[in-house]
Amino acid sequence: MKRVQLFSTFENHSYLEIAISNLEKQGIPREKIYAVPLDKRAETKKLFDTLHSSDGISLIDIGLPLATAFSVITASIGFELAWGPIYWGLIGAGAGFVLGVIIRLIIFWQTEKGQKRVRRKQADLILIVECEASISEKVEKILWEHFAMGLAKVESGT
Amino acid sequence: MDSYSNDNTARRYRAHVSTWGTTQLHLRNPYVMAWWSAAFPGFGHLLLSKYIRGFMLFAWEVIVNMNAHVNTAMIYSFQGEIQQAKEVLDTRWLLIYIPVYLFAIWDTYRTTVDMNKVYILADMEDHRINTFSMGAFEVNYLDKRSPFMAALWSFLMPGLGQLYIHRIFTAFFIVVWGVTFFYFSQALEAISLLFLGETSKATSVIKPDWLLMLPSLYGFAIFDAYINTVENNKLYKKEQRRYLLKTYQSPSFIIKKGTKMS
Repeated sequence: MKRVQLFSTFENHSYLEIAISNLEKQGIPREKIYAVPLDKRAETKKLFDTLHSSDGISLIDIGLPLATAFSVITASIGFELAWGPIYWGLIGAGAGFVLGVIIRLIIFWQTEKGQKRVRRKQADLILIVECEASISEKVEKILWEHFAMGLAKVESGT
Repeated sequence: MDSYSNDNTARRYRAHVSTWGTTQLHLRNPYVMAWWSAAFPGFGHLLLSKYIRGFMLFAWEVIVNMNAHVNTAMIYSFQGEIQQAKEVLDTRWLLIYIPVYLFAIWDTYRTTVDMNKVYILADMEDHRINTFSMGAFEVNYLDKRSPFMAALWSFLMPGLGQLYIHRIFTAFFIVVWGVTFFYFSQALEAISLLFLGETSKATSVIKPDWLLMLPSLYGFAIFDAYINTVENNKLYKKEQRRYLLKTYQSPSFIIKKGTKMS
């Protein structure tokens, strides 16, 4: 009987576990599912933390403290100015936040200078599933439906 | 009801998932934490998940600051009216303000340094943690959420970002104090007047000492929601990797060489 191994890449997400649960429901034993979590390139620091990836280096870690500080000061001074404390407080918050972001950007460009940055979304792990050729279509469909990033089927003799 | 009961075999745990929220150790910048305690005593401790002392220091700050008129004096000082600042400060309260204010900053700094060390050890120990907790009143589990949405909700109303990521204590705390500050500062009345274009009337309706509490609360609410979403996502990823390595790496699995099907 012909057997197929499906190589796929995924992000760490609950969809991955749903996909694996579905495969086990199709009768694929645990021993025929092989997961290899990937280590990431060390220099791929990103400024924008998203749902999919975050490394704790973020745009806001200087911006928000500065926004708070500036806002308190400009709101205080604003009591004596024509626009009053609320407008001036908001202006101070905005200016502080922008300044903090600029500082963070400068630090970022300084440390990342000369390093190639990987911009694209990266896979978190490789998942290999072995099954009989007859159900490989179904397995492939399950993997794609649960957001496999890439997938290849490899056919072997036995 | 948890998915896993700690059997106390670990020397240190990285995180604790309960129906009240996800508490975790992670690396923090001691200077940034100390800054939040300087902005408002209590914030630093809340960020470190030391809620009881955070609440205490925060309430203390509101009571003593308001009675000593520290905020009013700050406003005068920023305006350059040093003489008025001196006059408004109430010496019956003022001197006890200083040591506790400095303690909050100092204690946040040293606790952060300490907890970073504990985190490094807990992370290397990499002991299994509970990841799912269900009770009569709440359900909490590790998953991925959007840091941007957390920040946005806390920007619209402080505390909502914390509800989004299941930080029940912090959410309750921020909402209660947020409403208190909005009410006593009369900021919302002023905003209504600003919409009508009555700028000078808006300025006169505001209670300055209470208004000065709001920027810190907003900044903290957004920051706390954002960084904790990021850290929860990192914890989720770590835990899932750990689970996959343990469950789906059978020694009998053989990777076969074949031809790629088109």
